[in-house]
Amino acid sequence: MKKIDRQVADTHGLPRKNGELVFQAPWQGRAFGLAVVLNEKGAYPWDEFRAGLVEEIAKGEPEYYESWLNALESLLLDRALVTRDEVERRAAEYKSLERDPVF
Amino acid sequence: MTHDHHGHGHDGHHPEAPSDVEARVLALESLLIEKGLLKSSDVDEVISAFEHDIGPMIGAKVVARAWVDPAYRERLLRSGSEAVRELGFDYPASTQLVVLENKPGVHNAIVCTLCSCYPWPVLGLPPVWYKSAPYRSRMVSEPRAVLEEFGLRLPAGVAVNVWDSSSDLRYMVLPERPEGAEGWTEEQLAAIVTRDCMIGVAQPKVTENAAAR
Amino acid sequence: MGGMQGFGSVRPETDEPVFHARWEGKVRAMAQRSFGRYFHLDEFRHAIERIPADEYLRASYYEKWLIATQTLLLEKGVITEAELAAGHALHLAPNPAVARPAPPPLHARFKSGDRVVTKVIHPKGHTRLPRYVRGRHGVVRTVNGPFLLPDANAHGKPPDWQACYAVEFGARDLWGPDAQAGDRVCVDLWESYLDPEEER
Repeated sequence: MKKIDRQVADTHGLPRKNGELVFQAPWQGRAFGLAVVLNEKGAYPWDEFRAGLVEEIAKGEPEYYESWLNALESLLLDRALVTRDEVERRAAEYKSLERDPVF
Repeated sequence: MTHDHHGHGHDGHHPEAPSDVEARVLALESLLIEKGLLKSSDVDEVISAFEHDIGPMIGAKVVARAWVDPAYRERLLRSGSEAVRELGFDYPASTQLVVLENKPGVHNAIVCTLCSCYPWPVLGLPPVWYKSAPYRSRMVSEPRAVLEEFGLRLPAGVAVNVWDSSSDLRYMVLPERPEGAEGWTEEQLAAIVTRDCMIGVAQPKVTENAAAR
Repeated sequence: MGGMQGFGSVRPETDEPVFHARWEGKVRAMAQRSFGRYFHLDEFRHAIERIPADEYLRASYYEKWLIATQTLLLEKGVITEAELAAGHALHLAPNPAVARPAPPPLHARFKSGDRVVTKVIHPKGHTRLPRYVRGRHGVVRTVNGPFLLPDANAHGKPPDWQACYAVEFGARDLWGPDAQAGDRVCVDLWESYLDPEEER
């Protein structure tokens, strides 16, 4: 049974219903999962991700998971786990359906 | 909505172009997989754990199991923490869980007047109202009035037992199985057990939607 | 808080967020990281109780946490007034030295069904004998523990492990004839809060 990281569960503002996490679209779940998995694998401490999240939210983006994604991207770029160039190219390939956009 | 035909052979089923956010997430995930930093299944596991395994769904599953399995029910009432672990959930050793059984004529509810003790491992984070001054002060002195505010009116023949939690124990209510839920699977049963039922300010309801599942 | 008058309706929010503002999450995180390192949960509860009454009633849930955390960290020398004023650290925090010992075997004075009376105490220090059940007659429902007596634990005294009982009181005994006959309130009480009924 997967152990829940309480730090992650306590992250501010995670949309919930009846106490449980709510993802309004599959991409939100994926973005959430990516951030958590990378933390679990030691790519960055959770505090660092959370600090970036708080900064992004402060910019005023109303959609919680948009801020989440922005924070994740910034962190991955900062830590050179991906480059801006390759992310943009890859995203374009998905948008144009050159790559099969299956979640 | 245009459907260009760059999509690979799906026998007439053409995928829609993803939105910008979707494309960004897809890009990140696929790149990270290629770099060997994670697998898709890692992400699946995390999503599943956080969506389903945390919060009141744990309590709901415990209740559903007790409803269908009388021997489990006995073990649950004898030692709540152990019975929760039996289903594969983590119950920390620092506090003990005591499960309160609702029966015909007896309705239980929980409160912490001195602070806000709450069975986090089975119910998730407590709602604001549970921690509020009105609930903490009024639940011990006028529980029926508070329950009415939650939309729950109990007949005079049902005794209300309020449990004031103030030690290393945490309480959780085992509600009565409602009429109209005979023959249901555990999953169907768990779906009608809300957090409020396990605090004792609501009762599980059999709605048309729930019955149809 | 049990039984205090003058509070309004309970007002549940539907689908409320877990934290209403960013700072609340930070306060919770700070407090949680301090439990077991710089102070016990019981000291924390006592610090909240020490908040002056008018501030206590005005403060929101997480404001109380913030005040309590700050108070304890100051008292323990983890942070100083100067650092709070400066807004950043000026020296290293002391090494935390808080460890919980394992509980001893349970020796319970009372058993299920025993009739007991709660003590009438109004201690200045931290206690978890709620006001509304002081000097009341009740019946022991269940025996639990041993747990650390929070009064001693709250002031850094040596650990006092005691049996803890769920004691049942009749609602009418507590609140008078307006309460429903047959309704009960069961309260978790440490052994030293109780006397056997025949002694009083």
